[in-house]
Amino acid sequence: MRRYIRIFREFFRACFVEELEYRSEFLGNLVSSFFGIGIAILTVNIFFYQTDQLGGWAYADVLVLLGVFNTLRGLIDFALRPNMPRLLEHVRRGTLDYILTKPVDSMFYVSFRHLVFWRLIDVLLGLGVIGYGLMVKRYIPSLFDVLIFLITIAASFVLIYSLWMMLMTTSFWVIRIDDLSFIFDSFFETARFPIGMYRGWVRVVLTYVLPAAVITNMPALSLLGKWDTATALIAVLLALVFLWLARRFWRFALRFYTSASS
Amino acid sequence: MIRKYIALLRMKYIEMLAYRLATLVWMTGAITQPLITMVVWMNIDPAQSDAFIFYFMAVIFVERMTSAWDVWELDREIREGTFSNYILRPLHPIHWAIAENVVYKALFAAILAPIWAIAALFVPALRFDVTGGQALLFLAAVLFGAVLRFLLSYICGLLGFWITKVTAVYGVLEVISLFLSGRIAPLSLLPPVLQQWSVFLPFRYMIGFPIDIITKATNGHDMLQGFAIASIWMVVFIIGLQWIWRAGLTKNQAVGG
Repeated sequence: MRRYIRIFREFFRACFVEELEYRSEFLGNLVSSFFGIGIAILTVNIFFYQTDQLGGWAYADVLVLLGVFNTLRGLIDFALRPNMPRLLEHVRRGTLDYILTKPVDSMFYVSFRHLVFWRLIDVLLGLGVIGYGLMVKRYIPSLFDVLIFLITIAASFVLIYSLWMMLMTTSFWVIRIDDLSFIFDSFFETARFPIGMYRGWVRVVLTYVLPAAVITNMPALSLLGKWDTATALIAVLLALVFLWLARRFWRFALRFYTSASS
Repeated sequence: MIRKYIALLRMKYIEMLAYRLATLVWMTGAITQPLITMVVWMNIDPAQSDAFIFYFMAVIFVERMTSAWDVWELDREIREGTFSNYILRPLHPIHWAIAENVVYKALFAAILAPIWAIAALFVPALRFDVTGGQALLFLAAVLFGAVLRFLLSYICGLLGFWITKVTAVYGVLEVISLFLSGRIAPLSLLPPVLQQWSVFLPFRYMIGFPIDIITKATNGHDMLQGFAIASIWMVVFIIGLQWIWRAGLTKNQAVGG
């Protein structure tokens, strides 16, 4: 474990140095991040121009949810998005062979080698929106609320990571699909809104199959003080199960991997 | 000219077949956002559910029929220098783009129209009843929308001769259009200020206007006004395009020579 933390720190440093070379990009990225969150808030305002609740959530609650969504997306764009599509490249070009010969766990390596720092702005902006939502609601979360929030959002991240990893691992068989991550994005967009909004089978799918409900709704509810220990435990358990599945699937896929040259 | 176009269309058709999987993926992505927005509105006003289903399915259809991606292509081609190949040829490069648009949209129409027809058998909300005249007006409005979006996208793309971040500029326009074209909500549900803006800016005529015709949300006078404003914008865009094209060529030669 200690060794992996050290390796992660090394990845972090290498990417940071790399990014410093493109400092002029920073301002543009900053503007686009602010722009993005502004649009998202404007959209919510348009909806609430016609109503006072969405799937049983009030305006302030939806803002908190939006903040959680943005925070998670920032984390995904920071650590996962730069890496996942590269796996397709590695398989196509056969460079996966090099990674497999390295004395590091291959799944760890392909997942965290590349980091995009400016996306952490989105995490900060997301936390800002959460703060703003709580202010509108005039609710100060207790220490326990925050603790459960941290646990559930960590579980969400692990869950997203596992789902995406499984999706990407299919690249061993279907290497010709150009942009699998695009499909992931489409699914993730559904997590922007309260799950209570969806009806019928869509809701069942989003709760149990592709757990959008768990990913954003649970951390938001925790911060609003509406958590209970059982669901938090289930979230953690679910995350661990999915991580285990993703790991098994990766191992399984590796056994089928015969490098591009052969 | 017609012979040239037939050749161009055939070439673009073959090119498209080679990328059909990618096309499919992009299509999936394009329908997610309208579907989620639809669910939100159905939640806000359940009594209007059927109207919202029809509206957002129409958004998906019209959006596909009018969508323009030329800015991304031009941005890449100008940056990588491959655009010069097109400038050297005797035919104006815009014809390649037009042919590509025609092929893609014809294919989308050929896929989406039967899907709509079959879905309408099972979902009553998707059935509609219009006279031949209204149908023609709708198609005309879609054509206007497609031309407007194409011109705007192409103009932005040509800006690539001067600035490197044209896709960012276009991204901002797309976001404005998200609200003012009626993609995030039927325009009648927007705050009055935005509604007012939407009438005079070009974005409404790219998506919302044709849908308002087919759902009979506009009367004769509004329709006339709409077509008039759309035409004015079209003329403005065409003049702008020609001007920017000439200026761009001068600039390009200055750099190249």
